Amino acid sequence: MSRIDLPQGTLDLLILRTLSLGPQHGWGISERVQRLSSEVLCIQQGSLYPALHRLERRGWIKARWGTSENNRRARYYELTRAGRKQLETETGLWKQLTTAVSQVLGEA
Amino acid sequence: MLSDFLFRLRAIFRAKSMDTDLDEELKFHLDRQLEKSIQSGLSPEEARRRVRLDFGGATQVTEECRDARGIRALEALSQDIRYGFRTLRKNPGFTCVALITLALAIGANTAIFSVVHGALLRPLPYAGPDRLIVLNETHPRIGTITVSYPNFLDWRAQNHVFSGMAVMAGVGYNLSGIAQPETIRGQAVSSNFLSLIGVHPLFGRDFDPSEDKPGAAPVVMLTNPLWQSHFAGRQDVIGRSVSLDGRGFTIVAVLPPDFRTTDAVSVLEPLGVWLTNNTFATNRVNRGDTAAIGRLTTGVTLARARAEMEGIAARLATAYPQDNDHFGIALQPIRELFVGDIRPAIMVLFAAVMFVLLIACANVANLFLMRAAGRTREIALRVAIGATGGRIIQQMLAESFVVAGLGGVLGLGLAFAGMRAMSRLIPAAAMAGNGMNLNSAVLLFALGATALAAITFGLAPAMQSVPAGVHSRLKESGKSSAGGIRQNHWRTMLVVAELALSVILLAGAGLMVKSVERLIAVDPGFRPDHVLRLNLSLTPSQYPNSTAILAFWRQLLDGVRALPGVESAALGTDVPLTNSHSRGDITVEGMPLPAPGSFPHPDEHDVSPGYLRTLGVRLLGGRDFTNADSETAPNVAFINARLARDFFPGQDPVGKRFVPGRPDPGRDLEWITIVGVVDDTRMYGLANPSRLEIYRPLAQGPPGKMDLIVKSRIEPASLTPSIRRVLDS
Repeated sequence: MSRIDLPQGTLDLLILRTLSLGPQHGWGISERVQRLSSEVLCIQQGSLYPALHRLERRGWIKARWGTSENNRRARYYELTRAGRKQLETETGLWKQLTTAVSQVLGEA
Repeated sequence: MLSDFLFRLRAIFRAKSMDTDLDEELKFHLDRQLEKSIQSGLSPEEARRRVRLDFGGATQVTEECRDARGIRALEALSQDIRYGFRTLRKNPGFTCVALITLALAIGANTAIFSVVHGALLRPLPYAGPDRLIVLNETHPRIGTITVSYPNFLDWRAQNHVFSGMAVMAGVGYNLSGIAQPETIRGQAVSSNFLSLIGVHPLFGRDFDPSEDKPGAAPVVMLTNPLWQSHFAGRQDVIGRSVSLDGRGFTIVAVLPPDFRTTDAVSVLEPLGVWLTNNTFATNRVNRGDTAAIGRLTTGVTLARARAEMEGIAARLATAYPQDNDHFGIALQPIRELFVGDIRPAIMVLFAAVMFVLLIACANVANLFLMRAAGRTREIALRVAIGATGGRIIQQMLAESFVVAGLGGVLGLGLAFAGMRAMSRLIPAAAMAGNGMNLNSAVLLFALGATALAAITFGLAPAMQSVPAGVHSRLKESGKSSAGGIRQNHWRTMLVVAELALSVILLAGAGLMVKSVERLIAVDPGFRPDHVLRLNLSLTPSQYPNSTAILAFWRQLLDGVRALPGVESAALGTDVPLTNSHSRGDITVEGMPLPAPGSFPHPDEHDVSPGYLRTLGVRLLGGRDFTNADSETAPNVAFINARLARDFFPGQDPVGKRFVPGRPDPGRDLEWITIVGVVDDTRMYGLANPSRLEIYRPLAQGPPGKMDLIVKSRIEPASLTPSIRRVLDS
């Protein structure tokens, strides 16, 4: 199956969703998204890190240094309470959007 | 919003460690990606190439991360501020004019605000000051007048609107036993006074209810200034004795520094001391220097309290018509008492300096606009290489904030200097607590004024500098540097605003000058130039009777008159503009008797011969007092022109007679013959009308407290030491 670049604005949603499963470092996040989407979705590393820092600034995720599976120092991100709320809102909006879009497509 | 700002701030201060963190984070990612690629079967070189390709430029990612952290915006700001400083240094003339203008305006505003804050805004040093009401009596012909003590007792017993009521009686003392004896003022207060206003002594004890009764032992509380100046702030003053009018008073407490009461006093004594052998305490018709203060019960409005007290006053007027006819009760919130007179003056001044600040802003804005005219090319160039409109505005605003900030700092210095000058002009009684100073509220105001100024004069040039089209700008400034039509438009608006504000200010200033001119034109009825006044009082124990008192006053006058440089000297009570007075009813011979509250109620002065000449009061008819008007001679008096007009219309009052007080059947009438008529004096300030006045010769009832007035040929103040020597001998 071919890979699809992420549509505009969905990156934040994917990161928040991924982190809702538990704390993870940047590489882990991109891996998890790829695996959960059956290798369809691929996050460009060049946009992943700016997105992480932006989310941190907004207070939706927070970062701390931890040790990775292979015993290296890695920066772990986890969801804050505000982030959890934001995830709920964005998920709702996303569902509305996709339903509406598929309705339009279905009728066409 | 705030957390976002803090995050950015932290990002700036920890930028270095964050950058290393980021490097490490990205490296970790690369390594993992590499591992994964190699595991999937790629050769190490091929894997490295793929990963690098995937990842894009590392520098770009780092930049984007910094952007995301919000560092860039703040970095740009600090860059703008540095740039602002640089351009200001390059234009010293522009900078100086702008800074001086702003410093003057911000300084004046801050100084005046410190007065507004001190007098009008700062909370009074009491618990719940809004519910504290000062009570006085009123009379339609007299206005507000002090309280009769027996009336106070009835008010306190009969009202249901005050949770507590205390009384304060003014007293004056000779403080002796120190290097230079001096007269001080004090108040006798009921034992509930301090607890009612919510003040605790700094240390020592409060007065006890047992000290409210006549015969109480003489004790005093010292105010903080007296304690500092006469006892060097020593803690062991409690239990020590001070000599007031030659009598030992034991010190029981020291009051806190911010303590203030309805009068400027140095000591407080228990009410019982004042009540002892005092006719004011028992005589309802006597209204001494007494006021009451009450705390409104929660939920009671001032209007309801007024209504209730009016009812009580009406009952008391019916019950004691001789003493209370026509008397009402005046209720005044305590802050109004302190600032009532001065509030409009302060607000006018504040409005005036606000206008000055606005004019200053307009001026500086104009300067900025003119300078911006020379900078169109620079700005156009910035836009051409990618600066956005917002970015340009930010840069211009940063410059104006730098100018305003520097101006604000200079202004604070000016304000501080101005406050010292002003504190000498403003009556201390109007300032709550310790007068004005640079406190946090005033600093906050200065900061606010500075920011407001920066936005006011910075926004116009910033907005107009945003380019409409780069091309037109480049062309325009190629032809001339005078600036475009838009810029002229802004400047025209500024000039119009400036002119309008200036006209308002000028009109206000003109009106004030006019008022002052009219006050100066008022004939006060006396000439105070080159006149020195000394307030003197005799210790009752040393001068027990009127013969001894009179002998002292005569000796003093002879001594002072003999001094070189003295043109004339005299003694008098309640001289003009001192705001002290004594008044009483009189009965004019042959007049139909009015209701008890409607008798003529003139001010009374006891004066020595030479009083009229020394103060320059004109004698309109009759004769002056002489030494022949002695205790044994017939009783004589002057009246003033207004009394003559009101009670002897169309007649010559000289030779007519009156008696002090109201006719009392059981008493022989001691008629006083009018021997002279003098001009009205503006006793209570130039703006206030003259009143009824009578003058009696000093020898026919010499008082223990008098004002010595000396008219000199030389600078009056230089006479003080030699007069003191006469006093000592």
